[in-house]
Amino acid sequence: MADVKLERINKAYGSVEILRDINLEISHGEFVVFVGPSGSGKSTLLRMIGGLERITSGRLCVDGRTVNDVDAADRNLSMVFQNYALYPHMTVGQNMAFPLEMAKATKSKIQARVGETAKLLQIEHLLDRKPRQLSGGQRQRVAIGRAIVREPKVFLFDEPLSNLDAELRVQMRIQIAKLHRQLGNTMIYVTHDQVEAMTMADKIVVLRAGRIEQVGAPYDLYHHPASQFVAGFIGSPKMNFLDCRLVEATREGARITLSDGRGVTLPVGAIDLPSGSPLVLGIRPDDFVPPGANRDELSLDIVVDVVEHLGSVTYLYGAVGSDAIVAVSPSNQVRGKEASASIAVAPRDCYLFSKDGVAFRREGVSERWN
Amino acid sequence: MIASRSLYVRLALNALVLLAAAVLVFPLVWILMTALKTQSQVMAWPPQFVFTPTLENFRVLFDAASAGATNYGTIKIDFLSPIENSVIIAVGSVIVSVIVGVPVGYVLARRDIPYKEDIAFFILGFRFAPVLLVVIPLFSVFQAIGLYDTYVGMIWVYQVVTLPMIVWLSRSYIEDIPRELEDAAAMDGASSIQIVWRVVLPLLKPGLIGASLLVFLLAWHNFALGLMLSSAKAPVTVALLKLLNPGVQFYPVMAAGLVVTMAVPVVLILLGQRHLERGLTFGAVK
Ligand SMILES: Nc1ncnc2c1ncn2[C@@H]1O[C@H](COP(=O)(O)OP(=O)(O)OP(=O)(O)O)[C@@H](O)[C@H]1O
Ligand SMILES: [Mg+2]
Repeated sequence: MADVKLERINKAYGSVEILRDINLEISHGEFVVFVGPSGSGKSTLLRMIGGLERITSGRLCVDGRTVNDVDAADRNLSMVFQNYALYPHMTVGQNMAFPLEMAKATKSKIQARVGETAKLLQIEHLLDRKPRQLSGGQRQRVAIGRAIVREPKVFLFDEPLSNLDAELRVQMRIQIAKLHRQLGNTMIYVTHDQVEAMTMADKIVVLRAGRIEQVGAPYDLYHHPASQFVAGFIGSPKMNFLDCRLVEATREGARITLSDGRGVTLPVGAIDLPSGSPLVLGIRPDDFVPPGANRDELSLDIVVDVVEHLGSVTYLYGAVGSDAIVAVSPSNQVRGKEASASIAVAPRDCYLFSKDGVAFRREGVSERWN
Repeated sequence: MIASRSLYVRLALNALVLLAAAVLVFPLVWILMTALKTQSQVMAWPPQFVFTPTLENFRVLFDAASAGATNYGTIKIDFLSPIENSVIIAVGSVIVSVIVGVPVGYVLARRDIPYKEDIAFFILGFRFAPVLLVVIPLFSVFQAIGLYDTYVGMIWVYQVVTLPMIVWLSRSYIEDIPRELEDAAAMDGASSIQIVWRVVLPLLKPGLIGASLLVFLLAWHNFALGLMLSSAKAPVTVALLKLLNPGVQFYPVMAAGLVVTMAVPVVLILLGQRHLERGLTFGAVK
């Protein structure tokens, strides 16, 4: 049974529609990540689930119960905020005891639970401090502690790591993933960091301007994006997009040409378009290989503007025709600052989109990992 | 920039500062000196700056029973009851304003209600209006309904002075408390009342103590309301005026009364100084 179920949910502030027709099922124990650009409605959706924001229309069920009109306090969910939102006048211990006190737990139970939770998060030595005496990472752990101490069904996280520095962010990311495994609770996690989404999620929900663009496992979103938007959003560095035209659609796939006349046949599903239709070719920067590695490959000549040596890999920034392009290549294959480079990509690594951004099914890629 | 200022400019600037300080301090020093002199010393010309201080004036002020036996002739002053009146009225006004004003400030800070800014500005508008605007119509009303010269009536009209300040200050202090703290408390299972009681009020406390002090001083210094709407329950500011008897001018006693009147706010400010600083909310966010 689904732990959290959203049916045709809408949200409007006055006449401004923020979220439209959101349908989503989250089953018990799932780690669901909401991603999307700033302003796409991630926080609003999360806050609606939490009960901090009214639902304009639609139905929200938590644990089989419709909770549209249930107060946040009575939904038995807990939330970790981007700014931690620790009570500044209480010590760490009091902060963590607060949800238990509200639930009218006994003194001894409170003490035991706070102790266990602090131990789990390695913050036992901080229990008597005030929040202002903590570092960012410590505050974040206290905030997580306050959320898990009550053992709620569902945890909500709103960009919990975005105020931390890169190194700490990786550490905390791993800690949250570990916590999810230990506790086995449902977690709904908002981020606009696609690395967090890819690494932590069982299921990613991509939001765009108040609508769900795609829902799927990280693998599916990466290899079978439903649209150019999702393809551009998932994966780092961002996917390259090149304008091209359909030559003909055959049983093997679609034969396309780039503006410079180079052509390739891509293994994609049925295309119901006349030849000559404009399309968009998508290539991930790390799918480029030196030319000559594959039969039927598409080779490109890049005019290189900037070369960045990162140690293990090298980034090439440049252009193919009028389209900007980024390529990642193993460092030993690029030297100095080349003004041009020849690279290639295998047809099965390519993505193809219609001009209005809908993806064509990629046939050469398996459905799942392994 | 500072280094390039010439010596003369610096001297001139310092002199200006000294002058300003002297202008501000002079009346206070003068009053204090007058309060410690005898009537004849006060009247002496040229003014005496070296004299033997006396506390006689303070005795006259408070010792109602034997006040007649002074060298001022037969005067009878009871300065203690106006102080009592002022304390009751000012403290009462602050308490009523806090009880009424903080919830109003909370609503104005947090809730979306129609015409919110207009309501807020209307409340603040009382700070701009001359107090007499309220007093003149109230004079006859108060006499008619028996509120004239009562503590209840006085505390009620003093709300004109104290309530707008409490509403505005508490609104801005509440706006400084991150909303997420209330959201967090709601998620933690706290009811609205528990949120206010356990989270908002403790964070509001330092600001509220400061605001109450400020408003107490406003009430303490008010003159017009007491003058018009009280006689036996008149506050200390009005009692001071009554010392200005057209027949005998006992300046030193008046000065002593002034010193006492000023001492209350000075002591309060010294005691409450640390509460006037806020900063408890630091650490909540970021
Ligand atoms: N109280 C409000 N009144 C009107 N519009 C609002 C309100 N709160 C949010 N919005 C709008 O709703 C939209 C979604 O906001 P939301 O905070 O959910 O975005 P988000 O995806 O969390 O973005 P970010 O990544 O920047 O946090 C935004 O366009 C925002 O301007
Ligand atoms: Mg957000």
